[in-house]
Amino acid sequence: MGNVERCDKTLPTNEMMYHIRKDATLRARFVSDLAAVAREFGLSPAEYEAIRDLDPRRLMDLGVHQYYVPQILRLYFGTANNSNASAALERYQRAFPEETAQALALKARLEGGR
Amino acid sequence: MAQIVAAMAMTHSPGMTGWFTQAPKDQQELTLRATAALRERLDAARPDVLIMFSNDHLLNWPMNNMPEYTVGIADEHVGPADWFDEWLAMEKYRVAGHPALARFIVNESARRGLALSHLRDMQFDDGISVPTHYLNPDGKFQLVPITMNCTVPPIPKPSRAYEVGALLRDVVRAYPGSERVAVIATGGLSHEPGGPRYFWVDEEFDRWFLDLLARGDHVALLRECTLERMEAAGSGGTAELLAWILVLAFTRGPAEILAYMPAIAWRSGTGMVAWSALA
Repeated sequence: MGNVERCDKTLPTNEMMYHIRKDATLRARFVSDLAAVAREFGLSPAEYEAIRDLDPRRLMDLGVHQYYVPQILRLYFGTANNSNASAALERYQRAFPEETAQALALKARLEGGR
Repeated sequence: MAQIVAAMAMTHSPGMTGWFTQAPKDQQELTLRATAALRERLDAARPDVLIMFSNDHLLNWPMNNMPEYTVGIADEHVGPADWFDEWLAMEKYRVAGHPALARFIVNESARRGLALSHLRDMQFDDGISVPTHYLNPDGKFQLVPITMNCTVPPIPKPSRAYEVGALLRDVVRAYPGSERVAVIATGGLSHEPGGPRYFWVDEEFDRWFLDLLARGDHVALLRECTLERMEAAGSGGTAELLAWILVLAFTRGPAEILAYMPAIAWRSGTGMVAWSALA
């Protein structure tokens, strides 16, 4: 089955992200003191480090639901410039070079000359 | 008894409002034309209520307790949720609900063996907000939102979505009122939100799926369009088409494909369809 089957429904990061999206105060604390918020939600050292390093591949390997991964990036990079030339794209290029290169080649073919 | 007067489906990708102009001009224009055509169909059908079938993007429910379906029963719906308004580049909107119909759907479905969760204060992400922006911008139609899980395992199979659609069709028709109801599926087509193929769309799958809808053979569609096929065309996103398959049960015969575009800038295969014949 697909990539979502890899998510760990019991992973503390997944629980944390549910609350972070609903709570502006928690979002601000997440950015200013990630270590404290990670402790409160019981994140493992590996989860904490993958978030700190903003590494989509490691996050998904640990079981973070794929939908939350760009949302973690948004907490740091904001929502401006949601184009395919965004900071999120750079992180995905590093984490998934083959898949992202295929996507960009497809984009060039579909939108070339327009 | 309530009457179902229109059935349609459209993509709800956040790029369609949040970064609309990043797509090529022809895709922008096609989106505006096709959504205008859907609005014209709604005006002609004169619904009182829109039932929108979408999916919850992990906003309303945590992963430790994810219901299959949830009905919003509020007197008034307000969106987008704070986390989404900047992302969607949308001002807050308010749309009247239809709590009597929504609560009847919850209770009557239970009597018929279908468990639906409900929320009095449902939060809205792109799933309801983007179609509302295009189809109900002035809030003239009341709204009953019904969200589904299509992204947290286990993901329901297409046959299940169709079965739920058939039951809900009968439940809505059994509502003791004279309301005219339009059913609208939102989501799809191919995309993989946040996954390794986040920046990709599967045009071949999308055209194949739309062709199945245009052929209008529900049995063939349910046989060929498996969950595995949808997941292969973009995990955790393409299965939003379960909402389209649910609405399929309200219809018969071919769908009219109003638009398709492999809108890679919006990171989603993008389409709009409408059905002329209702089941």
